[in-house]
Amino acid sequence: MQQDRAHVRLLILAGVALFWMVAVFGRLSYLQLFRHGEYLARAQRQQQRTIEITPKRGTIFDRNRKPLAMSIPVDSAFGVPSEIVDEHLAARLLSGVVGKPQEELEARFESSRSFVWIARKLPPEKAEAITALNLKGIYLQKENQRFYPKRDLAAHVLGFVDLDEKGLGGIEYELDNEIRGASGKIVVMEDARKRWFDGSQAKLEAGADVFLTLDEKIQYLAQRELDQAIASTHAIAGTAVVMNPNTGEILALANWPTFNPNRAGDAKAEARMDRAVSALYEPGSTFKLITLAAAFNEGITRPSEVFDCENGSVLVAGHRIHDHKRFGLLNVSQILAQSSDVGAIKIALRLQAPRFYDYIRAFGFGTPTGVDLPGESKGLLRPLENWGSFSIGSISMGQEIGVTPIQLIAAVSAIANGGLLYKPHVVAQLQRAGHALQIDDVLEPMEPKRVIRPETAATLRRLMEGVVLEGTGPKARLDGWTSAGKTGSAQKIDPSTGRYSRTQFIASFTGFAPINNPAVAILVSLDSPVGQHEGGEVAAPVFKRVAEAVLTYLDVPRDVPLNPKLIQAAYKKHASEDASALEDFSTVDFSGQPDPLPVASQMMKPIGQAPSTFRKPPLTVAVDEGGEVEIPDFSGKTMREVADISLRLGLDPVLVGSNLALNQSPAAGVKVRRGAKITVQFGTPPEKNSKPRPGHRN
Amino acid sequence: MTRMRRKAGTAEFHTVKRIDNSRLVRNVEPAKLRNLWRAVAVSSMIAAFFMLYIFQHFRCIDLSFQLEDLKAQHMKAAALNSELKLEIAGLRNPMRIDTIARRRLGLTQPLPTQVQEFEAPDGAEVAAARYVRPNRAP
Repeated sequence: MQQDRAHVRLLILAGVALFWMVAVFGRLSYLQLFRHGEYLARAQRQQQRTIEITPKRGTIFDRNRKPLAMSIPVDSAFGVPSEIVDEHLAARLLSGVVGKPQEELEARFESSRSFVWIARKLPPEKAEAITALNLKGIYLQKENQRFYPKRDLAAHVLGFVDLDEKGLGGIEYELDNEIRGASGKIVVMEDARKRWFDGSQAKLEAGADVFLTLDEKIQYLAQRELDQAIASTHAIAGTAVVMNPNTGEILALANWPTFNPNRAGDAKAEARMDRAVSALYEPGSTFKLITLAAAFNEGITRPSEVFDCENGSVLVAGHRIHDHKRFGLLNVSQILAQSSDVGAIKIALRLQAPRFYDYIRAFGFGTPTGVDLPGESKGLLRPLENWGSFSIGSISMGQEIGVTPIQLIAAVSAIANGGLLYKPHVVAQLQRAGHALQIDDVLEPMEPKRVIRPETAATLRRLMEGVVLEGTGPKARLDGWTSAGKTGSAQKIDPSTGRYSRTQFIASFTGFAPINNPAVAILVSLDSPVGQHEGGEVAAPVFKRVAEAVLTYLDVPRDVPLNPKLIQAAYKKHASEDASALEDFSTVDFSGQPDPLPVASQMMKPIGQAPSTFRKPPLTVAVDEGGEVEIPDFSGKTMREVADISLRLGLDPVLVGSNLALNQSPAAGVKVRRGAKITVQFGTPPEKNSKPRPGHRN
Repeated sequence: MTRMRRKAGTAEFHTVKRIDNSRLVRNVEPAKLRNLWRAVAVSSMIAAFFMLYIFQHFRCIDLSFQLEDLKAQHMKAAALNSELKLEIAGLRNPMRIDTIARRRLGLTQPLPTQVQEFEAPDGAEVAAARYVRPNRAP
């Protein structure tokens, strides 16, 4: 009996246990099978956090791997309104830190949104201040910010980005997809104390680094000289482009007005315009190069052929064209050197419109050059069938046609390099994670094409040298190198009258140096200079200063001896240069450079160490700072030998007479300071010494 | 005393029986012993497995925390590195260097005669050729 009762109790207990287990497993099964997704999502929301990782935007370097644009991570502050306990207090405290109105922040915190920005891309001190407030529901998030450490250097080539680092101009826009990379997401587990662990790796594509063909030093030289020219001529705008004529690489591209890409939003649209590729202008006399190139290549004239310039005026299709001077008979070399419009028109008329048009197109006018910069204009060239009876006359002297500086320098480079037209370009290489990308996949390649024969180019180079030596561009004559070029002084259209203005001009000079093996082609144009407006007066000196500095920097060997007069003048100027050097630049405050200047290095300095102002730059040239030299014996030497030796020793020779050196003062062996004047008298030596030495050239 | 009282009733005899079980031998069955040890071993392995599992689980979480800390440190170091590079780039601004050279140091451009040109060594290329990039059209 007792055994039966115990058995029943056991059965009841087992039944209850079974029921309990069935209930538990049933509930588990229900949750697992039917509500799995819902609870999984809830768990993930609670435990996991998904973070979008934006890859750092690629760095833009110059050709020597000097960074011109780079991104660094900075903090942005955001709030989660549902977590903020006291919106009023939070808004009041944050307002004092980020400098935004309290009401605006409070309105954001009271919104129904789950995420609101408080301030983006904060300076480190503000981010630290927000962290120190320790407000619930206020967080910091890392974002990348673009910096341009060289400020306005090459601003138009680099372009700029918006707050979300989207490229809006220049290379930043043109190669935005490559520089930006592809963002990815990572999922991290979060514990109760909001600590992260077990993060998964994001599959993101790093932004590509861009290596430009620009050289920051050449770029600076071009910008500096352009700025000085603008300041002295009061022109409203200007452009300077330096190109390697043998490859089409742009070494410098400077525009004025310019802007600081770190604060692109503050700049006017006019300042952000890349005039070198977008601005159209009538090239004026510089276009006579194209007229003559076509004529020589077609064999319809030769440099020595004489044209009657009809005392400075000619009648074409009922229009009388006046030269800037009353020229009579001029050969073709002189037509270019003196920039005779009448002569150019007569040559073009002989060439005839169809052939002239073909050459204009062949030189790349009327079509974009394909330079890897955005907003390029194709220029203004009417189709041949729309040419009027006077068009050939106008176009031959650079009117009735609109060109961009980049088109013109590409055409002049073709003349410089022997007749090959290269596509101008600023991008040399793209690299992602250290591996070079195939640039042709990104940018459209273009093979160089021959536009004129090498002989034609050689003839034109010689004629362009005449422009510098005895024509309208003597101020483009370089000290130590041969140079060639063409001046241009094109009248602007007056918008009020629709006619050519008598007061507003585009003064330009385009040329290259040295002549036999050109290392650089340079174009300078100034829009509406005040006072002197001829290209030979205002643009040619800029060409000279840029060319001399660039050729020295590139170590291009001098191909003509230094002019003793120039050396003498340089010495005279030397003392005054010391003082005037201070006036070369307007006051520049570098305390805020770059914008804002990171304080990283200051953080790493040992306490108590005074910050150094500057470090000694590495020497790049061998400079002899004076001292005494012993005068050699010049007797029996030729004038060239005497000049060479004197210049090498830093002496200022005064050469009197001709033939071989007979006497000198001071005498050989005397020690003088560098720069001292030495007079050498030349004459016919006695009979026994009169025979020229073998291999001697005079 | 007790004996005396009981003596009055029934007589009880208390005999001592000595049992010698020294000859009894406990029979240990080897199969059962093997099973016992096997069970102990399996249990130990299961316990060790769970212990190991729990250890590595918590160790993994612990290392994940450390890894995230290291990642954060790495990011900070990388950010500092970028800031330093930016600062260097800013300090090397040609405009800044030029201005310091002219204004603070009073340097001027060397005269043509102060720059001494040396003969180019064998195999040297002229500047125009030196800058040709191989990935571009010839």
